[in-house]
Amino acid sequence: MLVVKIEDLKWKYLESRRQILSGINLKVEKGEFLAIMGPTGAGKTTLVLALNGTIPQRIPGEFSGRVEVLNMDTLKYDVSDIAKRIALVFEDPEIQFVMSNVEDEIVLGLEWLNISREEIEERIEWALDLVGLNKSFLVRQPNQLSGGEKQRIAIATAIARKPEILVLDEPTSDLDPRGKSEVISSIKKLRDEMDLTIIMVEHESDLVSELADRIIVLDNGRIIVEGDPSYVFRKIDYIKNHGVFPPEYVEIGLKLGVNGFPRNVEDLIARLREKNIKVRQFEEKQLFRDKAKIVEVRNVEYAYPDGIVALRGVNLDIFEKELIALVGPNGSGKTTLAKIIAGLLKPVKGEVLIDGRPIENYDRLKLSEKIGYVYQNPEHQIFNQTVWDEVAFGLKLRNLNYKDIEEKVEKCLEKFKLKRLAREHPFFLSKGEKRRLALASTYALKPKVMIVDEPTTGQDKRFSEEIMKTLKVLTEYGGACLVITHSISIAVKYCDRIVVLKDGKVIADGNPRLVLLNERVVEEGKLTTPAMFKIYKELNLPTPPPVTVEEFIERVKISC
Amino acid sequence: MPTVLKELVGIEAVSKWYMSLHVVTKIFIPFSISLSILFTKDPISVIPLILIAVAYCRISGISLSLLKRYILVIGSMTSFVALTFILFSRKPGNVIFDVTLLNIKAEKGIFEWRIFITDVALSYICLFTLRIFVMIFSAILLLGTLTDRDLVWGLRSIGLPLGFAIAASLFFRGVQFFISDFYTVREAMMARGVDFSRISLIKKFFLYINALIPLLSLMITRSYEVSMALEARGIAPGTKSRSIYHKPKMRRADYALLALNTLILFTYVMGSLC
Repeated sequence: MLVVKIEDLKWKYLESRRQILSGINLKVEKGEFLAIMGPTGAGKTTLVLALNGTIPQRIPGEFSGRVEVLNMDTLKYDVSDIAKRIALVFEDPEIQFVMSNVEDEIVLGLEWLNISREEIEERIEWALDLVGLNKSFLVRQPNQLSGGEKQRIAIATAIARKPEILVLDEPTSDLDPRGKSEVISSIKKLRDEMDLTIIMVEHESDLVSELADRIIVLDNGRIIVEGDPSYVFRKIDYIKNHGVFPPEYVEIGLKLGVNGFPRNVEDLIARLREKNIKVRQFEEKQLFRDKAKIVEVRNVEYAYPDGIVALRGVNLDIFEKELIALVGPNGSGKTTLAKIIAGLLKPVKGEVLIDGRPIENYDRLKLSEKIGYVYQNPEHQIFNQTVWDEVAFGLKLRNLNYKDIEEKVEKCLEKFKLKRLAREHPFFLSKGEKRRLALASTYALKPKVMIVDEPTTGQDKRFSEEIMKTLKVLTEYGGACLVITHSISIAVKYCDRIVVLKDGKVIADGNPRLVLLNERVVEEGKLTTPAMFKIYKELNLPTPPPVTVEEFIERVKISC
Repeated sequence: MPTVLKELVGIEAVSKWYMSLHVVTKIFIPFSISLSILFTKDPISVIPLILIAVAYCRISGISLSLLKRYILVIGSMTSFVALTFILFSRKPGNVIFDVTLLNIKAEKGIFEWRIFITDVALSYICLFTLRIFVMIFSAILLLGTLTDRDLVWGLRSIGLPLGFAIAASLFFRGVQFFISDFYTVREAMMARGVDFSRISLIKKFFLYINALIPLLSLMITRSYEVSMALEARGIAPGTKSRSIYHKPKMRRADYALLALNTLILFTYVMGSLC
């Protein structure tokens, strides 16, 4: 039985220059788990908003085609009627939490359905149980919940209405690894225990491969490939060109010529066990510390005014030309340490030396020439009227002459591919352009160390790789970059060094390949190791493992 | 759950008895006091309202020590009221002090600027200053005893549309977001070399004006996302639904306090008419 039927759907936002959806045709069967993949800007969220009629009923634009959900034409039925039968969960768990505690949040979606108080109570308990929570969460406020818990509450709120279709729009992309795994287990439980049609927009191909019955890949508003995971992910080069990356274990399996399609890493490992494996070994060396030291953090301790201790005796050196990943679970003190290095917070104990001088000896102007800080949300650090002015802001503060400023700004715009947008208002830039502008405006001061806070969170893989390549290039000019990230596969691929924090302490610091071999560090730091590491460990292959699929294929050969 | 005042300045009511009152009572008490001051004519008639408001603050267990933190703001407001009546208006009455500051003879007449103090002007200064104090105490009482949750259920229990009640709840969350965003933007400026402790007031002013760009952008993005999240649940501004889940009952104390404050309001209305 069809629950969704879309025919030749075209959509253009009122102010948009191009069509966001350009002739989508899609059918979804009852009980199916459909994954929608594609690069940022492909039209995934727009398609989701068309499913419940928000597009075109609430958002102005040009609409053509036909969308029928549960036999309701979205042009004929009001959003509120459609919303009774189809539930949506969005990406940002913070924003979609409307009320002030969990109980009110779930009740809000139920009261207007005109059901009895007793039934509301029953549904609350049932929904919380399905997402692995219990009634003790009812009194909690948003600030008393972790990202993963908030997202699970959002899912509970959606399913408490007993919808026939559940739509999840990148439900894990804003979460740390722990939050991700909590939400994923909830989704698995929903899939297994409920008679529910699930449509999920997701970047993470590992997750899609494990959960979805069918995948559609969108790019430029069109479906470019459609089929079950084994069909879609086999088209490795084709989907990569459209910004979708198959799971690493699939790519490894297919490129090594392993029979069949591995559904997960464990499946691939089982298939590899049956083969003879030859490994070309290489030796990974510990880092040489022969470069000039820029930052020295000595026994730094920090406690917030409310008494929460964030750092407990941290020691860290940053050398020139290093790209360092700062990783660890939420609340481990990553951002606090980064802000202390940038002089935005003062440690309660210990000292920070920049180029051998105590950080207190620098005024703000001088310090910002040494250490640059790029915020997680670029919108927090863009406050000028044009892209050009934004990049020039820090230079103008230094009273340089106009010619010098102009020269430096132009170079910077060139480097970050923003030249054609120089006169644009930053407000109207895309997410990626804003991120590049934030980097450019910090880089304009040529700081010796750039601290970049979670540049890859919520971004697709293509964009994350682009950002990391840019940062890598910046370090080649002599500076260092400290990147706060949750993405271990990206860190291990691009970073020269990884620093793992836990409970305000550095628990590991060194070459990423070697650090990630330490099981205790991986466990305590809640790190998700890349597929290659798991394969090497399970098959007892000689370490260190490779960090990219290409490297794996080059080093590992199999025969029957 | 913290009250609005607790979230903003860290102070809240500690009386369990007062906090257990029905939300309509907790809204009506400060509202009736604030409304009553519109019907006051002289400083003497405002004094009982000040005493009532302070008494309620004491009963609810709100520490008024927070006023110390805002003494400069309150002082500026009262000075502004006094200066308005002394420098920019002439209230007829017994002249206490009169001095001409400026006297310009022009073709169309004489322009004079005087400090002109009469007994009526002084009475007005007292009246408005005392009214400001009543407003401050009422606001403290309202914000110190209400959580945003109270506000939503209170507004719904008096029959206001669901969308209106949610907007009220979101307003307070929005204020928190705005404050936290403001500090992040300020910090981002510092990271680029701005030293707020050393720059001139004018430069500081223009930087804060600049900060409005990201703050507005974030506000618009968040409003859009919240409205999408609400629409996805089928809740539109006009959605009507009576609360069936939260139905706290009125107790005797509620009825008594509602009656008492209605009586106070009625007395002031009648007083102004007579």
